[in-house]
Amino acid sequence: MEGSTNVNDLEGWLAESYPQSVRTAYLILGNRLDAEDAVQEAFLRAWKFRDSLSQGSSFKPWLYRVVVNTCNSKLRQEIPHRDLRSSDDDLADVFVHDDVPTRIALSNDVMSALKDLPVDLRVVVVLRYYADLSEREIAIAIGRKQGTVKSRLHEARRRLALHPALRSETSRRSTSTEEVTG
Amino acid sequence: MTMIDEGVLSDALQGVANSFEISKDATDRILSEARAEVADTRSLRAPGFLVTPGRGRKFLIAAVLILVAGGISLPLFRGEGTPNLHDTPYLGAAPSTTVPGHFSQEFGPATDQTTVGSPTLSATGSTVTETRTGIKSAATSSSLKIESNGSVDLTVPKGKIELTLSKLGALVSGDGGYVDSTQANVGARGPGSFSYATTVLEVPQRTFATLVAQVQHVGRTTSLSTNSANVTAQYVDLKARITALEASRQQYLVIMSRATSISDILAVQSQLNDLQSQIEQYQGQLNVLNHQTTYGALTVMLTEAGHSSNTNHPRSGIAKAWHDAVAGFVAGFEWLIRISGPALFALLLLAALWIAGRFGRRAYQRRRL
Repeated sequence: MEGSTNVNDLEGWLAESYPQSVRTAYLILGNRLDAEDAVQEAFLRAWKFRDSLSQGSSFKPWLYRVVVNTCNSKLRQEIPHRDLRSSDDDLADVFVHDDVPTRIALSNDVMSALKDLPVDLRVVVVLRYYADLSEREIAIAIGRKQGTVKSRLHEARRRLALHPALRSETSRRSTSTEEVTG
Repeated sequence: MTMIDEGVLSDALQGVANSFEISKDATDRILSEARAEVADTRSLRAPGFLVTPGRGRKFLIAAVLILVAGGISLPLFRGEGTPNLHDTPYLGAAPSTTVPGHFSQEFGPATDQTTVGSPTLSATGSTVTETRTGIKSAATSSSLKIESNGSVDLTVPKGKIELTLSKLGALVSGDGGYVDSTQANVGARGPGSFSYATTVLEVPQRTFATLVAQVQHVGRTTSLSTNSANVTAQYVDLKARITALEASRQQYLVIMSRATSISDILAVQSQLNDLQSQIEQYQGQLNVLNHQTTYGALTVMLTEAGHSSNTNHPRSGIAKAWHDAVAGFVAGFEWLIRISGPALFALLLLAALWIAGRFGRRAYQRRRL
């Protein structure tokens, strides 16, 4: 009875957070299959060690902490030891339902820029601008101080702005903003 | 400084991340794996108190920690862990008896040690270790050498010190003994001054108990302490040494009679001198021991009423109860101070174990997550 109740808990978690967790992991790992693997492992771990979620703590950053740790573990242990599939192949696989060429190009640029970021910067960027976590929640999720999160975000945005793949997009956006204001 | 626009970044990430479908099968796989794990866990389930977090496990951990700390700190408490008003003998030797009020106990075997009045008398503690086991039944045997001594504190009416000393002298003479020494300060005047006397009475061992009983009727007894010890072994040992040395001396005398050269005579003479010196030394000790086992020494301290060289110990029931209560309180307080060190150590140990366990548990969980 107790076991089924716990599995019901897991079912609730999955319904609520699984899709966004997979997409977050995808942005961190750059590979959909790796992302699904990592998130599956993360959910099982989180469910197994659900007692470590202390009462009064927020569930969302705790779950993201497990996901991020699993992704980091994959990046450290598994992915460097096998041939990385190219992001182009991966994206081609991803965008089967979307045939807008410009969007594919932009996505390729974003993924390329993300992959060029160090992992610790990539994680905070993804958690802030995709998962929409606050700086305090990110601090909990990565186990660092809020000031560290802030400085990492700052550094990540600076690097992304300088990245060749995104520079054109940044300048295009700023030009269009100037036109509107002008 | 150029930085990428937050809106651009957010849109781009949303665009990339939301551009593929999430497989429904994946969640089903996770759930089935979780169910399989639950089934495995059930089949290999450990006792509930080990697995289930909460009070039960905390109590179990606390109990184990207390046991460990107790096991470590117990030796520290041993021998000093309980309040002890009477300094219980460690040798399991002769019984120590405390009698309230007047001493009225018949003096039995020589090993009995009796204390009247204050239970904190220093004599009580010091004499216990001198007492030996197995003497009680043998005390009646004339071959045994038993030495007895004691002290009595008496309070006498004002101006009766000299009279009491005379009475004591008469008592000792009647018992076949003598007054060994007397120190008296009689007729002192002025504030805070009072008369007192100390006398040492020596009586044959067989009448020692009688003398103790008689002395108590001379004045009001405030404290009484007696001690008996079996010194037979010491006595026999000394006699054996003397016998052996005398045998050696005889042999040297024979050698001396046969010596022809001066150097031989001098060498033998030197040995004889050494032997003689040792024999005299042991003989002296034997004489002292003989005297101590022949005569019992009772030190009597006389104090005028209203003054006391020692604490005046109450004799009535309520007063004595109050005195005992105060003494018990002091002893309990001393005990608390005494155990505070080991207790603090045990608490620190527990705290360290608790903190280490907590850190370990957290680190383990962090690693697993």
